[in-house]
Amino acid sequence: MRASGHMLALLLALIAAGAAAADGGGGIALRADGRGVNDRGPLALAASLQAGIAPPTPSGQALQAELRHVLRLAAGLSLQTNALLAHERPAGGSGRDASRLNELHAAWDLGAWQLAAGKKVLGWDVGYGYRPNDVVQQEARRVQFGQTPAGRPLLMAEHFDADTAWTLVAVQPGRWPDDVDRQRGAREAALAGRIYRRLGALDLHGFARHGRHTGASAGLALAWVATDELALHTSARAFRRHDGWAMAADATTLASSNPWRQAMRGGGTQWLVGGQWTGGPNLSLLAEAWHDGSALSDEAWRRWGARNAALAALATQPARRRVAAGNLAWQASPLDAPNLRRDNLYLRLAWQPTDWTLSIDALVTPADRGQVVSAALQWRGDRWRVDASLRLFGGPADAVLAQLPLRRSLVLAATLGF
Amino acid sequence: MTMPLLIALLLPLVAARALAADDVTALLQAADRFRSGADALQVETLVTTLGRDGRPDKERRYTVFTQPRRRSLVLMRSPAEAGQKVLMLGDDFWLLLPGSQRPLRITASQKLLGDAATGDIATMNWADDYQGTVGADGPCPAPDEARSCRRLRLAATRKGVSYARIELWIGQARSEPVAAELYVQSDRLAKRARFVLDPAGRQVDEMVLLDALAGHRETRVRYLSRMPRTVPEAWLNPMFLARNPVME
Repeated sequence: MRASGHMLALLLALIAAGAAAADGGGGIALRADGRGVNDRGPLALAASLQAGIAPPTPSGQALQAELRHVLRLAAGLSLQTNALLAHERPAGGSGRDASRLNELHAAWDLGAWQLAAGKKVLGWDVGYGYRPNDVVQQEARRVQFGQTPAGRPLLMAEHFDADTAWTLVAVQPGRWPDDVDRQRGAREAALAGRIYRRLGALDLHGFARHGRHTGASAGLALAWVATDELALHTSARAFRRHDGWAMAADATTLASSNPWRQAMRGGGTQWLVGGQWTGGPNLSLLAEAWHDGSALSDEAWRRWGARNAALAALATQPARRRVAAGNLAWQASPLDAPNLRRDNLYLRLAWQPTDWTLSIDALVTPADRGQVVSAALQWRGDRWRVDASLRLFGGPADAVLAQLPLRRSLVLAATLGF
Repeated sequence: MTMPLLIALLLPLVAARALAADDVTALLQAADRFRSGADALQVETLVTTLGRDGRPDKERRYTVFTQPRRRSLVLMRSPAEAGQKVLMLGDDFWLLLPGSQRPLRITASQKLLGDAATGDIATMNWADDYQGTVGADGPCPAPDEARSCRRLRLAATRKGVSYARIELWIGQARSEPVAAELYVQSDRLAKRARFVLDPAGRQVDEMVLLDALAGHRETRVRYLSRMPRTVPEAWLNPMFLARNPVME
């Protein structure tokens, strides 16, 4: 609890120092996660060969407090903080601290010019299920329990007028001299820019990014309110290189170390098209389709499946059982990616009477008919918010989504705002 | 001879119609002065939703900046909604949810979802958005039936407003708003409104809304303070919603 202790002390000091010119708030949440382990897939097979070789994340409970604070200083300067104090207790295990500092940055309000330096959440792009141009934050999408993500270290300058805004960001500037392996994905040092223009019912966004080792990428996004009930959006990005999972070229079926590693790979495109209809008795329907050229190709997944089958066959030989189990566990490495298959379809239906929101959504990967289906219920009272969400992973036996470590995930949470 | 005769016959009708429209606009401007009082305002608003037993069920606090040319910025202040912002620029709307730092473009229908129709608290004048006719004078709706009211039949002149049609009752002498029936696009009665003036009778202190679609739930919109405030143009840029300037 040392980290959370330090953060609490920092926040209390900020609150005390800025009592005359400060605002703040937050929420305390009690959360329970129930996770059902999958009996299919490489990890399940590895566990059946050697118990406990790579246990999936167990069920558990968490108590967490999100604290937000803005300390106003002179001349438009402010210090903005968002801290998560969290304690998690996994089933059958001992508790652990999961606290983190989401934001701690200095902001300078110069009217049309806005400057910021420090750790900050910076979300870009349009879209719900996936955002190709979210090139700074790279936020996890479609989470069961939404909360503030951990921000990124950055230096930022923005300019606003009535209809136009532009932003220049140096993200992860301290990592610029680091070795490539220490700055993969959202940890990569990069320069990024966004320009926004409002054209009546149309929002137009342009994006550019230059990553320290992945190089240049550029993108465009549109959001258009077509009618009182219908909004359409699209986003596209082209990149020269990207970080992603790759299997070592010299890997044998029975490798002595994990053949999967994060590596720099080639160029490609990402795009999304979607629309949301809202109408009737508080109903809304969202439909999106997207392509992620940074995900593993269909051919790579075919080879992944073939290697799983080869390892399963080798595991029948007692002398190779242990090594095969280890290799099967390593086969779960590429399952940790924002999109598993390149092409995805997503549907979300929500009903939102006054205090309640009931939603059902489904993600389908047409290449292998894998699917993730979720149902969620939220109630919002005066200060309390209650969330319940059940998610099921499935599809044909050879679908990647049907071979994830978890078969189902249930989240129950009660949050008290203050 | 036919044309001049036709013009002579039609001219009084056209003139009368134009005059009636001017009358309605003037009456609406007079009624609006009891709600807003200035072109650019900062309004602190407390919205209380009452349960079936008449006791307060929920309270929400909002800071609303209303600016000329149908521009409004709404900041949600209550713990349950802190950090949420809604920006309305004419018929265009954006929403910022806390934590996301990413303004979302929303449709007019999405604006109506959730606890309070943001239009109820962000729209402080009718004259810019409605036209109509003046009906017959008669008793005001209950509980003010002892008074005599002027009735206005109003239709929206643009698509982005929360209510397509309004039946408005105003005082005969000063045109202060007394009561209203608010109809949505499908011409269904959505809400009945009653306006409560301050003790001096100069401003609307409270708007009491009775929801005709959601089991006659009562919502009270109380204006805690109003002060003239012109906000910087940058604040009305949708991407600025993610910033956190000193707004008090």
